[in-house]
Amino acid sequence: MKKSKLFILLILFPFHIFANDIEINVIIENCKSCHGQNYEGNNYIKSLKPLEKEEFISKMIKYVNSNNDHVMSRISKVLNKKDILKMADEIYEKIE
Amino acid sequence: MKKLNNYRRNFLKNSSYFISSLLFSSIFKINTSYSKSKLKPRIIIVGFGIGGATCISYLLKFSKNFDIIVIEKNERIQTCPMSNLVIADIIPYSYISHDFDYMRLKNIKFLNSSVKTIYTSKKIIETEDSSKIDYDYLILSPGINFKNDIDGYNHKDRTIIPHCWNGTKDLFKFKKRLNDLEKKSTIIISAPDYPYRCPPAPYERASLLANFLKRKKKKFKILILDSKDSFTKKEIFLNEWRNYHKESIEWIPKSKGGKVTYFNKKENYVKTSNGSKFKADFINIIPNQKAADILTRSKLNGNKDWCDVNPMTFELKNFRNIFVVGDSIDAGDMPKSAFSANSQAKILATNLVNRIYEKDILSPVFLNTCYSFSSSKRAFSITSWYKLNKKKTRIVSLGSSTTKVDALSHQYYDETRQAYGWYENLVKTLYG
Ligand SMILES: Cc1cc2nc3c(=O)[nH]c(=O)nc-3n(C[C@H](O)[C@H](O)[C@H](O)COP(=O)(O)OP(=O)(O)OC[C@H]3O[C@@H](n4cnc5c(N)ncnc54)[C@H](O)[C@@H]3O)c2cc1C
Ligand code: HEC
Repeated sequence: MKKSKLFILLILFPFHIFANDIEINVIIENCKSCHGQNYEGNNYIKSLKPLEKEEFISKMIKYVNSNNDHVMSRISKVLNKKDILKMADEIYEKIE
Repeated sequence: MKKLNNYRRNFLKNSSYFISSLLFSSIFKINTSYSKSKLKPRIIIVGFGIGGATCISYLLKFSKNFDIIVIEKNERIQTCPMSNLVIADIIPYSYISHDFDYMRLKNIKFLNSSVKTIYTSKKIIETEDSSKIDYDYLILSPGINFKNDIDGYNHKDRTIIPHCWNGTKDLFKFKKRLNDLEKKSTIIISAPDYPYRCPPAPYERASLLANFLKRKKKKFKILILDSKDSFTKKEIFLNEWRNYHKESIEWIPKSKGGKVTYFNKKENYVKTSNGSKFKADFINIIPNQKAADILTRSKLNGNKDWCDVNPMTFELKNFRNIFVVGDSIDAGDMPKSAFSANSQAKILATNLVNRIYEKDILSPVFLNTCYSFSSSKRAFSITSWYKLNKKKTRIVSLGSSTTKVDALSHQYYDETRQAYGWYENLVKTLYG
C-alpha cells in the first residue's frame, strides 16, 4: 500500500480501542440512551429508523472523521469501520 | 426457604427454552413456555431511581420468568437531573417528577416501603414495617448519603437551606428561600470533595442561580467555596461566567482557602480551612457524600465510603448474589451520574440474566455524557467511554472530551436540545 493511502486510512480510523471481546450489542445499548429504546428518537434527537443502512454507515463514518466537537463526533471516535458495519447490521436487522 | 441450587437446577430443567447466547437483543426472544413452573428465582430490586429503574426496564421482559419485587421508599420519583433548571424557574417541577406506572410493571410486585436491614447470611431483607422477604438475587441502587464533616453543619437540620442533592421536595423550600432574597445579596455554594454525585452540578447550580437572579433584576454575588482545586468542564464554566456574569460569580479553590470547615447557621457565615470567614444571605452547603444508608447499616460497604463491586457483574466483592449499581459504588474512573448509572445497570441486568441462565458473561463497555446548562439557551457536555482494565477489576476511562469553549452560540443552544432529548428518552424508558 502506498504511503499516502495508508495515511488516509489512519486518519479515517485513528483509534480502535474497544477490545475484540466486546460484543457490538453492548456498545449499541449505549446509543439507546439518547436515541431511544427502539431508536425512535424524540422531539430533540433524531430517530435512526428512517435511515437506510448505507446512510447510517456513511453518517457514522462522517462523524468519526469530522474534527468538530458535536457529541456524535466525540462518541464515535472510538469506533472503527468494522464496528460501524457490525452496528449497522445489528441495528437495521432488529429495528421494529 | 428453598436453597438456590435446587431452585436453579429445577428452574433450568423445567425451562423449555433454547438460546445460544443471551445477548442484549436476543435476550428478549426466549420461549417463555416454562413459566408455568412455580420455581422462579426471586430478584429483589431496592430503589426505583435511575439505576434500579434501568435494571427493571431490562428485566421487564423476564417478568414471567422471574419473581421480581421492587421496593422504593418514595411515592414518586423526583429526578436530580434537570432539577437545577427547576430551581431557576426555567422548567416546571412536573418535568422532573414521575409517577409509578404500575401498568407497565405488569407481573412485577411493587412495594412502597423503605428497606431497613439486609440479612445477608439468611438472604432476607426487612422493610420499615418489619416485613421480611427472602431473595435469591438482590439488586441495590439506593443512591447516596451525606457526611456531617463540616463543624456546625447537620444535613438533617430542617431549619437550614436544604442541599437539594437527593431528589426530595426540599427543593420547594430552597426555591422559597431563594425567592425571599433581598434586592442585593451574597450567596455561598460550598462544593464537595470528590467523589460526589454529578461533578458539574454545583457549578451548573451557580450558573443557573445567577441566571435566575439576573432575570429577577436582583443584585448578587455568588461565591463558590470549593473543597477541590479543579472541577469538570472548568474552562467552559469560567468562560460562561466571564461572559455573562462578569464579577458576580467567584470561584475560590481549596488552595486559596475555599474548603469550608465551619458553618454558623445563627449568624449565617462559614469559615474555611485557612481561617477566612465568609458571611452570606444564602448558604447552600453541598455536603461530602458516601454510599446510601442501607448499605452502611447492613455493613455491605466494608467500612469504605463506597461499595466495591466486580465491574463485570456489579456483584459485591464480598457478598455473593448481591449487586450494587449507580452512585453507591466505587466505579473507578466513571463519575456518579444518571447516564453512568443507566449504562452500568444495563450490564448488571443483562449479565445477571446470563448468569441465571448459565450463559457467558458479557464484557462491558460504558458510556457517560453529562450536559450542564449555564442558561436556558446554553448547555455543554462532557463525554467518555469506559472499559475494564486488563485484570477486569476496575473501570477505566478511554479519555473524555467536551464541547469546545469557543463553540458557536447555536452549538451551545443545540446542546440544550440534546440535554432535553437525552433526559426525555431516559425517563420515558424508565418511568413511561
Ligand atoms: C443537582 C443534580 C443534577 C444532576 N444532573 C445530572 C445530569 O444532568 N445528568 C446525569 O447523568 N446525572 C445527573 N445527576 C446525577 C444523578 O442524579 C445520579 O447520578 C443518579 O440519580 C444515580 O442513580 P442511582 O440509581 O444511583 O440513585 P437514585 O437515582 O438517587 O435512586 C436511588 C433510589 O433508591 C431509593 N432508596 C434509597 N434507599 C432506599 C431504601 N432503604 N429502601 C427503599 N428505597 C430506597 C431512593 O428513594 C431513590 O429513589 C444530577 C445530580 C444532582 C444532585
Ligand atoms: C449523548 C447523546 C447521544 C448518544 C449517546 C448517541 N447519539 Fe447519535 N446523535 C445524537 C445527536 C444529538 C445527533 C444529531 C442529530 C440530531 O440533531 O438529532 C445524533 C445523530 C446520529 C446519527 C445521524 C442521524 C441523522 O439522521 O442524521 C446517527 C446515525 C447516530 N446518531 C448514531 C448513533 C449511534 C450508533 C450511537 C451509539 C454508538 C449514538 N448515535 C449515540 C446524540 C447521541
